[in-house]
Parts: sequence; structure tokens; C-alpha cells
Amino acid sequence: MKGTLQQQQARLGVRLISPAVIIIGLLIIYPVFYNLYLSFHSVKLSGESRFVGLSNYAAVIGDAEFWRAFLSTALYVFFTTVGTTLFGLIVALAMNKEFPGQGLVRSLLLLPYIAPVISVVFAWQFFFDPVNGIFMHLMVDKWGLYAERFNLIRSPQYALWVAIIFSIWKNFPFTYLMILSRLQAIDQNLYEAAEIDGCTGIKKFFYITLPEIYFVLGSIVLMRIIWNMNKFEDIYLLTDNVKTLPIYTYFKAFTGALDMGQGSAISIIQFAILISFIILYVKKVLKW
Amino acid sequence: MVTKHKFIKNILFSLLILVIVLFAVFPFAQMISTSLKYSWDWGNPSLVPLKINWESYGELLGLSQNIKDLPESVQILLEETPDLTKEQKEAIIAKYRDTGDVFPFGEYFLNSLLFASSSAFISLIIAILGAYSFSRMEYKGRKVIQRGVLFVYMFGGILLLIPLYKVSVALGLAGTQGGTILSILIIYVVQTLPVCLYMLGNYFRTIPFSIEEAAFIEGLNHFQTIWKIIIPLSISAIATVYIYAFMIAWNEYLYASVFLKSYKDIYTLSIGLKSLFVSKNAIWDRIMAASMLTALPVVVLFLLIQKHLTGGMTSGGVKE
Repeated sequence: MKGTLQQQQARLGVRLISPAVIIIGLLIIYPVFYNLYLSFHSVKLSGESRFVGLSNYAAVIGDAEFWRAFLSTALYVFFTTVGTTLFGLIVALAMNKEFPGQGLVRSLLLLPYIAPVISVVFAWQFFFDPVNGIFMHLMVDKWGLYAERFNLIRSPQYALWVAIIFSIWKNFPFTYLMILSRLQAIDQNLYEAAEIDGCTGIKKFFYITLPEIYFVLGSIVLMRIIWNMNKFEDIYLLTDNVKTLPIYTYFKAFTGALDMGQGSAISIIQFAILISFIILYVKKVLKW
Repeated sequence: MVTKHKFIKNILFSLLILVIVLFAVFPFAQMISTSLKYSWDWGNPSLVPLKINWESYGELLGLSQNIKDLPESVQILLEETPDLTKEQKEAIIAKYRDTGDVFPFGEYFLNSLLFASSSAFISLIIAILGAYSFSRMEYKGRKVIQRGVLFVYMFGGILLLIPLYKVSVALGLAGTQGGTILSILIIYVVQTLPVCLYMLGNYFRTIPFSIEEAAFIEGLNHFQTIWKIIIPLSISAIATVYIYAFMIAWNEYLYASVFLKSYKDIYTLSIGLKSLFVSKNAIWDRIMAASMLTALPVVVLFLLIQKHLTGGMTSGGVKE
């Protein structure tokens, strides 16, 4: 047990980190590979699994419902990412100015992000409730935009859009904080120099602000895509009528026929799509 | 001219801020308002209740009798028979209450509290040791671990759910209540561990090494240094990380819904609320009051640590 001081320190370092590494290895890394294994098997909840080759994948790809879920996921991820980033940018630019009551506004704006999903979905459902909700009151009684009251959050046509707006509402605080902290780090001399050269507000934004925050915007968009593609609660708890890939997987594996093999296959396909996208994105947009 | 232009600009700016704040807080206003309204007031689009109704809060917190669920004939009986003793009345109420679904809010609240506080605590201990290790010591593979920590968040919950549940069933854990509790605890630890490691690692690196050097010269070993120097110096960061981990576990739904499904006694708030409020038409006030009480601890904790948390969040230490 002797050795040099450095070796001793190294041994201790390994020992201190090992509980974390073991837990992450056993409960994150191993399950990912086990999931891959399950996707090639016909899986019973208890008892033996049988090797079935690619037939889970074939069944999933041949299922029209999978492609509908795929399309919903693509729309959801695209519009939530664009919406959250743009709205977050606007809020960050606004909050970058000083005004009275800013501290209070700062706290209030974080509420959607920190409140548990389960505690806010009911308020949203009430807002869109056909009998009591304000939304239908405005749309039907006040403005006459629809002929009769209906449940927007349950309608197949609109539910996805409600889920998208909900996600923007829930996640814009994080985006705006990230952008704001980068905005505040921009060297003010750049703006002064631009003013001397006769640049107006919009020009300053496009020639100084935007290039300065390009990298942080790129990272936020990437994180948003990863998170929103894996999102479950934000959609599932809000509405029963939107099926993105995670929700489709959940239904496949834990309801009805409990087909965990196919569930695994869907989640592996989803993961493969995500990884390929990330690699492409990191190379093209973040230029690493 | 210039001042007028500026004036309009100010007005527009204030409007913008107002719109943003309204968008953010409106659902919360809706929640408070409906939780305090009587059912005849729900359709009223105004957020101010015509008459304040505290009943649903009282009911959830177990302060008031749950008269509303009783059949009307029994309610009349109770009101119009003055010679019933208090015990008799309570016996009648209890008899009918057993048949209706009573909302065990306090029980779910306690379950959530236990799961969240203990998993966050375990996660914090492991993370303090781990973060100290990779922010202070040199060994092979240190950089890989340090960078890999956040990488694991690419694996969404749903990707790990099926294999983890399968393993839990195979080990016999999912079959018993104790095993299920253990499974959920471990899962919540692993869900919060990477972000704890990352945030604490970032913080420990800002503590000057010379302070520890002095401690070593005084003859303290590494564990004593962690206990006597590192932890006291970073106590606010540690509290922040703890609360952040607590919030992740408190808000969790997906794993709870699968693992706890057949164990009603250990339901957390998120699955409790979801399962009890399937049909909502008659009980909006109770739903909203329960929502408020579920959000409240997290919001209060958050306001306590807001300054530190936003700093930690923007340095990238986040999980969703």
C-alpha cells in the first residue's frame, strides 16, 4: 500500500469516484445495452426471452402508428425548439435592460420552469375546458371564432399545438437565462464602437449581438432537441391525444399486450435517430 | 420630439414585459383562482372568486369534514336531525366516506417527501466524494469521467425504463413493496447523480487549492479535509445542489407510474394526482388546490436558493 504520494492520491481518487461510476455504469450504461439486447428478443415480463432477430424492428417499421408517432415527434421537436429559442431570445433581450421591479419579474418568469409538471397541467386543462374554460369563453361567446365549445386539448387536430405551446411556456425560462447570461458578458465597447460607426439598433443586433451569442444559441437548440425528443411527462400528462415516440413506446411496453421487445426496438430507433442528428448538428452548426 | 419618441418606446417596452409576465404566470393565477372558487363560479371567466371557498384546502389538509361526497339524503339527514350526537354524526360520515374515494393527499405528500429527500441525500453524498475526486486528484480516466457525466443525459428516461423495469422484475424487487421502494430510490439517485457531480465539480474547482494545502500541512487527511474544509466552504452550493436534486425527484412521473403502479400505499404526488383526477368535472376546486400544494414546496425551496440555482443552471448543470 505504499507507493509515491502521487500513486496514493490516485488510488484515493479512484476510490472516491468509484461509487458514482459503478452506479452510473450499472443503472445507465448497462441498461442501454440491455435495451439493445431486448429489442432483438420476444420479451415476457417474467420468464425466458426468445431471440427473434430483427422481427421487432420489422413489426415496428411496418406499423402505421409508428410513423404517425414519428411525424408527431418531428413536428413537436421542431416547433417547440424554434418557439422556445425565439421566445427565450426576445425575453432575454428585454430582460437585458434595467427597469424597476426587475427582481420580481425575474422570479415570476422562472415559475413555469420549476413547478412540477403534474401541478400545472390541470390549470392548462381548465383553461381549455369546454364548459368552464376561459379560452372557449373568449373564442365562442366573445369573439365568435368557433360555432360551439369543444375540448381543444383532447381534439386530435389541435392537441399537438397545445402541447407545443405548453412546452414553450414551460421551458422558455431556461433558454432566456442561458442567453441572458451570455448577453451580459458581451463587451460593451463593441456597441460603442458600432455607434461611432453609425450603426442603428437592428444593425447592432445582427452584427454584434447575434454573432456573440451564436454558440450559446447553438448549444441551447441542441439541448432542446435532445430533451424534447425524449420528453414524456409534458405531453402525456397534458393531453391523451398526442402520441410522440416516447409515449408510443410507453403504451407498447406497459399497456395492452406489454410488448417490451417492440417497445425496446422503438426506443432504440429513436435513440439512433437522435444520435445521428446530434453528430450532424455538432459538425455543421457548432463546427467542432 | 426626442422625449416623446422615448416615451412611446418606454410604453411599448413596459407592455412587452407585461405580456411576458402574464404569459408566464397566467396558469398559476388560474390555479389559485379556481382552487378558491365554488363550483357555481367556475364558468365565470373572471379570476376573482365571487365568494372565497377554502373548503378544498381544508379537505386536502384533513382540516375539514368531507361532507360534499355524501349523498344528498344523508346530508339532509345530518343537518335536520339536531338530536344526533357528534359521535353518531361522525360514524355516519365515516360509513359513507369509505365508499367514496377520499383523497389521501397527506399520505402522497409524505411519500413524495420521503422519496425526494432521501434520494437527493444519497445522491449528494456520492456526488460530494466523486466531485472532489475529479476536481482535485490526478488519475487515469479522470477526464473521461468528468466529461462523460453530462453525456449520459442523452439517454432519455424512456430508453432506460424498459430495461430497468425488466431487471427489477428479474431480481424480484418489483414483486414486493420494499423492493419497489428500493428500486425507485436507486433510480432517483441515478437520475440526479450526474447533475450533482457536474454542479459540485464546477464549484469545487473555484475553491483555492492553497486552503487545502494548509490543511494537509496541519496533518489532516483527505476525508478530514473534505469534512472540515470543502463542505463548510461550499455549503451554499451543496444546499443548492441538494434542492435541485430534490426537485427532480419530487417532479418525477414516468418511473413512478410504472414501478409504483400496483402499490397504492407508496404513491407519490405526481401519480396520485394523475390517477385520482381522471374524471375532473365535479372536483376542479380540489384539483387546483392539490396542484397548488404540490407546487408550493418546490417554489418555496426554489425562492430560497434562486440566486445560486440560476448561476448553476446557466453554467450548464441541468437536467430535464
